[in-house]
Amino acid sequence: MPGLPTSIDLDECIERLYRKELLAEPVIEAVCAKAKELLMKESNVVHIKAPVTVVGDIHGQFFDLLEIFRIGGFCPDTNYLFLGDYVDRGLFSVETISLLVCLKLRYPHRVHLIRGNHESRGVTQSYGFYTECARKYGNANVWHYFTDMFDYLTLSVVINDEIFCVHGGLSPSIHSLDQIKIIDRFREIPHEGPMADLVWSDPDAERDEFSLSPRGAGYTFGAQVVRKFLEVNSMSHILRAHQLCNEGYQILFDDRLSTVWSAPNYCYRCGNLASVLEVSDNMERFFNIFDAAPENDVHRNEQQAQQNRDSQPVIDYFL
Amino acid sequence: MDAKHPAAQPAGHAAAYPAKRPQEISIQGFRISTQKLPILKADPIEEMTKSLGITPPEMIFGDNYVMIEHEKSGWGINFNSFDALDRVDKTGQSMLQVAYSKEWQKSREKTHEGIKEIVKPFDWSYSTDYQGTLSPKAQPFTETDKPIPVELLMRPDPILFFDEVVLYEDELADNGIAMLSCKIRVMPGRLLLLTRFFMRLDNVLIRLRDTRVYVDFETREVIREYQSKESEYEKVRQTLASTRDDVPALMRDANKLSEVLPVVERRCERVVLDN
Repeated sequence: MPGLPTSIDLDECIERLYRKELLAEPVIEAVCAKAKELLMKESNVVHIKAPVTVVGDIHGQFFDLLEIFRIGGFCPDTNYLFLGDYVDRGLFSVETISLLVCLKLRYPHRVHLIRGNHESRGVTQSYGFYTECARKYGNANVWHYFTDMFDYLTLSVVINDEIFCVHGGLSPSIHSLDQIKIIDRFREIPHEGPMADLVWSDPDAERDEFSLSPRGAGYTFGAQVVRKFLEVNSMSHILRAHQLCNEGYQILFDDRLSTVWSAPNYCYRCGNLASVLEVSDNMERFFNIFDAAPENDVHRNEQQAQQNRDSQPVIDYFL
Repeated sequence: MDAKHPAAQPAGHAAAYPAKRPQEISIQGFRISTQKLPILKADPIEEMTKSLGITPPEMIFGDNYVMIEHEKSGWGINFNSFDALDRVDKTGQSMLQVAYSKEWQKSREKTHEGIKEIVKPFDWSYSTDYQGTLSPKAQPFTETDKPIPVELLMRPDPILFFDEVVLYEDELADNGIAMLSCKIRVMPGRLLLLTRFFMRLDNVLIRLRDTRVYVDFETREVIREYQSKESEYEKVRQTLASTRDDVPALMRDANKLSEVLPVVERRCERVVLDN
């Protein structure tokens, strides 16, 4: 497989992306090809060491991603683990995923990217990433490069053999880490089975076991499920994202599970806080909480045009 | 949180939110007010869950409202998320299923037969026929054939007050969208309020339920019109496919969808307020 063309300088790409400039289509193609090569070698369960800063859903809120780096430290001074859902909903999914993939390529052992349920062809066609790619590049090629690359993202990470990190949650088909390792993950996220559960399921603090979602698909998992999973795998904590928390994080099941949410003022209208979870070298966990970045205001007009539901609504003669 | 994880203070920039205290206007004996605040925090959500008996939507703007009051007669109507959600079916009788549900159920049968229970079934699409909450002293509406005078609303009268307030929103676990929002515009002689419930369950159903409240300040006549529209997802998609526009974008646009969806229910009521 060919490496990066010699004309592509990753440091330069990263610099440009920090300035929120788009990379050219052939550059994205080359970067995604290279990323696939790198990600392919990763196990479905990647083991990493603390200290590391763990980031939840970003959803194309690029200015808030930059705010995370300002608060938590830039790469490679701070190690980062991203729990997925980089794209859709926000205005800058292309810039967000471009930057994260370049950082992964530049610092492969200091940046880790897990797959979220939005890193899929199906979901991105309905929730904005496809439309954004087509609008910013004039065609869907870039969307194809990115979504093909998504098939290679890992499903889970374990920090210091103690904290299990995943986008959504647990699956009734999975009792041990070995069962995750044998999933054939190089594919579109299926609607059912263990791979779907890992990126989709939610905890339910009022239950003990797995339950069916009233939607007719998907599971919620309860306290006993969490306890058993941690015991069987000799771990102490589950860390996941996937659900909006108005305070930026939520701790459940006697501190056995936490949700970290990293998109402040979600969809530019929820007014919620966000956080990143800093895991120190002695495994202490600290939620660093933050608000929406001030640059979001600059783009308020654009957001209004798209969302049309901001604090200063566009006055219209609706009927 | 325990002592090991002290509660952190926001490190970023406070008050960057689009949070707003009530804003209001008084005109010819009517008072119109709106409030927009961030989504509820965990504790108030828990309280709401208990009193509603169902899990509230993911984005719950529990402090938001739109209110119209007529001071002399004591008539008033307000729109808030709690009362709207209280009208959602809590039995699961009108429960929808996501598009891939059958496929999902089939594939899981073999492996996880033990897990049969659906926790507290309810209409998770949060469909509501909410038409506002009347004040206790409000004179009652009576049925009418008289429609809202659209021609008067099409005049380019100055808009003295305008707001748009979201009451709740849910992404249906990335299977579509459910949203209840309220728009109001006040002109010198009249006002129009539109509360819209919009629900798109991908590959299954599209549903729109509009409540319009029209007030003529001079005659103190209030007309309330409720209109429910819905259609199968695929039918709508096919209708829109012939337009050559960006169909996925159209399927997210409630205004565009309103033009092509068939009406399933419509009713109109009016009241003339005492002076």
